[in-house]
Amino acid sequence: MTTATTIGPSTVNVQAAIDRFQAVIGSHIASYLEACIHCGQCSQACHFHEATQDPKYTPTLKLVPMTRVYRRHKAPLAGVKKLFGLVPPELTADDLIEWKELIFDSCTMCGRCTEVCPMGIDIASIVGLSRQAMTAAGVGPSDLWEAAENSRTRGSPLGLTPQLLEDRLEWLADDNEVEIPLDREKADVLITVSSIEMMKYPDSIVAMAKVLNAAGVDWTISSKGYEATNFGVLSGKPDIAKIMVERLTTAAEAVGAKTLVIPECGHAYGAMRWSGANILGRPLTFEVVHITEMVAKLIRDGKLKLKPTAESMTYHDPCQISRRGGATQAARDILGAFAKDFREMSPTANHNWCCGGGGGVQAMGSAAELRHKVFQVKIDQVEATGAEHLVSSCANCRLTMDESRQALGWTREIKSLVEVLADQLEA
Amino acid sequence: MTFLQLVEGPLWYLAVVVFVVGVVWHLVGLVRLGRSVDRSAARSSGTAGALKAIALHSVPHGGNLGRTVYHFVTGYAFHIGLFVLVLFAAPHVKFIHDRILGVGWTAMPRWGFLLAAEAAFAGLILMWVRRLTDPVMRRLSDADDHFGVWLIFLVMLTGCLALQEAHDGLRALHMLFVDILLIYFPFGRLMHAFTFVFSRAYTGATYGRRGVTP
Amino acid sequence: MRFPRTLRASFSNTFAADGVAQGLAKPAARRFPAFDLARVAGGLVVVVLLLLASLAPSLAQSSVRPPAGAVTLAPPGPEMQGGALGNRSDAEVWHDVRKGAAGRVSIPDPNAPTLIQSQGQDWRVFHNEVVKVWGGRIFAGVVVAIVAFFLIRGRIRIKGGRSGRVMPRFSLTERVVHWFMAVLFVLLGVSGLILFLGKDILLPVVGPSVFSLLASASLQGHNLFGPLFVVAIVALFVTFVRGNGFRWVDVVWALKGGGLLGGHASSHRYNFGEKSWFWLASIAGVALSISGILLLFPDHLPGMVAQTTPDAPPARAMMQLANLVHGIAAVGFIAVGLGHIYIGTLGMEGALEGMTRGTVDENWAKEHHDLWYEAHLAESSTDSVGAEVAAAAGKV
Repeated sequence: MTTATTIGPSTVNVQAAIDRFQAVIGSHIASYLEACIHCGQCSQACHFHEATQDPKYTPTLKLVPMTRVYRRHKAPLAGVKKLFGLVPPELTADDLIEWKELIFDSCTMCGRCTEVCPMGIDIASIVGLSRQAMTAAGVGPSDLWEAAENSRTRGSPLGLTPQLLEDRLEWLADDNEVEIPLDREKADVLITVSSIEMMKYPDSIVAMAKVLNAAGVDWTISSKGYEATNFGVLSGKPDIAKIMVERLTTAAEAVGAKTLVIPECGHAYGAMRWSGANILGRPLTFEVVHITEMVAKLIRDGKLKLKPTAESMTYHDPCQISRRGGATQAARDILGAFAKDFREMSPTANHNWCCGGGGGVQAMGSAAELRHKVFQVKIDQVEATGAEHLVSSCANCRLTMDESRQALGWTREIKSLVEVLADQLEA
Repeated sequence: MTFLQLVEGPLWYLAVVVFVVGVVWHLVGLVRLGRSVDRSAARSSGTAGALKAIALHSVPHGGNLGRTVYHFVTGYAFHIGLFVLVLFAAPHVKFIHDRILGVGWTAMPRWGFLLAAEAAFAGLILMWVRRLTDPVMRRLSDADDHFGVWLIFLVMLTGCLALQEAHDGLRALHMLFVDILLIYFPFGRLMHAFTFVFSRAYTGATYGRRGVTP
Repeated sequence: MRFPRTLRASFSNTFAADGVAQGLAKPAARRFPAFDLARVAGGLVVVVLLLLASLAPSLAQSSVRPPAGAVTLAPPGPEMQGGALGNRSDAEVWHDVRKGAAGRVSIPDPNAPTLIQSQGQDWRVFHNEVVKVWGGRIFAGVVVAIVAFFLIRGRIRIKGGRSGRVMPRFSLTERVVHWFMAVLFVLLGVSGLILFLGKDILLPVVGPSVFSLLASASLQGHNLFGPLFVVAIVALFVTFVRGNGFRWVDVVWALKGGGLLGGHASSHRYNFGEKSWFWLASIAGVALSISGILLLFPDHLPGMVAQTTPDAPPARAMMQLANLVHGIAAVGFIAVGLGHIYIGTLGMEGALEGMTRGTVDENWAKEHHDLWYEAHLAESSTDSVGAEVAAAAGKV
């Protein structure tokens, strides 16, 4: 697997990074860059720092390349400071290469650091924008870029082409005797999928179909726009990010959907629910909800009959759905409807620890070792609850945890909330 | 012109002008960088979120408080002590009355001054000492961090050395450092005194729209 | 020497009450031995009791009362008596006054009846001719010794060179407390020295106007940072007391002159010199703190002490004692402190980083603290950042 080790200073387009840094700095970003007082409190909130105790993983250190460009080129009064030689030196290729690990491999953009920051600096969003600049310069993890390019050319980071989608849905429908509508002309609800689910956890697609059918939802999947993950956002390729949003928007508008449902995938929710309209440049004509929000509403409306279970469960909050998504309550409403022994982790909900693989880190080979190390935080958290089942609502979290638990020899299985729910449906 | 007349006269006026113009220029420049409209459908009020964040990030919250406690205690000791000194020390009240606002208020008694100064110095020294020794803070700190601390320390020190109010030289020294501080203020990290509101508010608004209290 | 008008007035009133209309002009002749404390105290108690008895009804109604401490404080000298007969010469009166004789005053100030505090002269002589002179000589001697040591011995290098492996040595708490104290040491040391020796050394050089400015600034600064020093010395003691107890190995270390005379001197985490410095700093620090607090609050603390401790010396004597203790302790603290600063920075390669980064080179540890080194071999590593973090976390 190719990584940054193959990138030399000669192949780095530093100017492209500098230009991109400048282009993305708005007043909010500038406020963040200016407000940091280097107190280092964010380090205690970062799982990469806590697992390694290495000061280089202090979140605010990720602001450095952008801050340097800002202070040299864009900050108010930079001109006056330049007269006195008080601006930082120009960014170099070596700087970018040095920061590659910090901007990509060791940040899941989970946003925990923002919570403890006395200045409330949104470091995750700066990392996201810094990825654009690094990528423009040609510095970054090539496997993450490949996943993004796959999305552009083949419709999905894992190569789930429209044809493959159709084949697999047909196979899943036949095998499990469940109706999975594809490309219906009109539907109230457009369901999207994550290729991780489709390729690695197809049971959760089946489960989702069962739940929607049981509730009598008027839904379809569309081959025009099905991939919910957005590796354009994660890899710092805004053009691909826009293509992915456009595909979903086109599909939703084509079927006249009132609601577009994001599957069990954290960053897909953030990319469409909170960034979709901004990437597209116009408001969306439909509502975007996470599958947990959809299901929670179906339960609230009495459309689902569920058998209670006494088995103990704990829930892992995907960062982009809870802390950075605001759909924190939905999963609890669902679990509350059938799990008689639900145990919260500590910390939980909006303060939950990240799985270690968000923000595309899951897809970076160079980050695997670090990611496994970080997962120990989560193991300790889960073990402390003593719950039998660990449930989550993000396929990326699930894949990260599955890989890490194998690497660390942890035997507990990670389950999909929708799958667990489908098992509790009254016949 | 004596040295005192210089630092309380022309240099003082220059410093105030640089400070006021610099800070305003800086903040206006910051806002003028602009921010594109958030087109996502808000779940909750961004304004409420901004106000909540401004208040909430003033106190430790959200767990993982190991490091926060140190900064919380020393930070507040310093900041509260400093503001009390600036606003209520008797010579300051007189200066504000005579030279700035034309109105004054009751100055605090001497014991109040001493308490505030002890707190401010203890807090500032402890924050700086941690910057020198803590691996994370050592990794983060730059010249601006240290310069700001030294400058404010010298302002406070010279102010307290002049406490007897018997020597023009000491008053002048204090004023000199005040002038330097004011002139440097808009250009360095001391600007956090203003930018923290922007930073918290932007985050609060972003998260507030998502229905999350950050 | 000028006295406040009220004091002078009340002094002459005393004599007037004794029947000497012209005040000091025709005093009575009767001499008391100086410093006959028992008699004086006894007499004073009687006088005070009589006064109280006669004044009790009016005191109860009056809003002006003597301070609570006024009753128990005895003026130090003999009481001025016998003036009523008019048989004392001016010379005799002044002689008594010089010896600390007390007259009577109508204000409730226990110090007011005594015009000249005789032991003030003793204090002055001791302070100016012993403490200051020897303090100055000791400082000069230490500086000369350090310079000489540097010229002869040079910087003490790590013999084996740097190993590239480091060991955690001082925790974050230890370093924060150390540097907090160090900052206060510098601030209080400089301002204290200006107050202590400035009149003799600085005044002739810089002239009266600059010196008065420096002295005023030093006084304010010294008073301001003093209370923080009290906090710092307590924190320093609590933080560093572990491992600073003397052991047999320290005696051997001392006999070998710390290895300076050749040969290797074994030591645990702290050697004999460091332990001595710790205890000296602690004891001198406590002395400085207690005497300093007394000196900071001359109007309140001596009275409070006298109330709670009947055997306590009179207020003025207490302040004079505090002043001398403060000076002597400061001389010790600063003199040894200079040596500590030298050996911790310029004097020895590899020592300072233990207090900044928190880690020391393995070879440094082996050479200077072999027993500690052997006990902590497991923490030695080539990962300097990791060692720094471990040190900060207190794995030292």
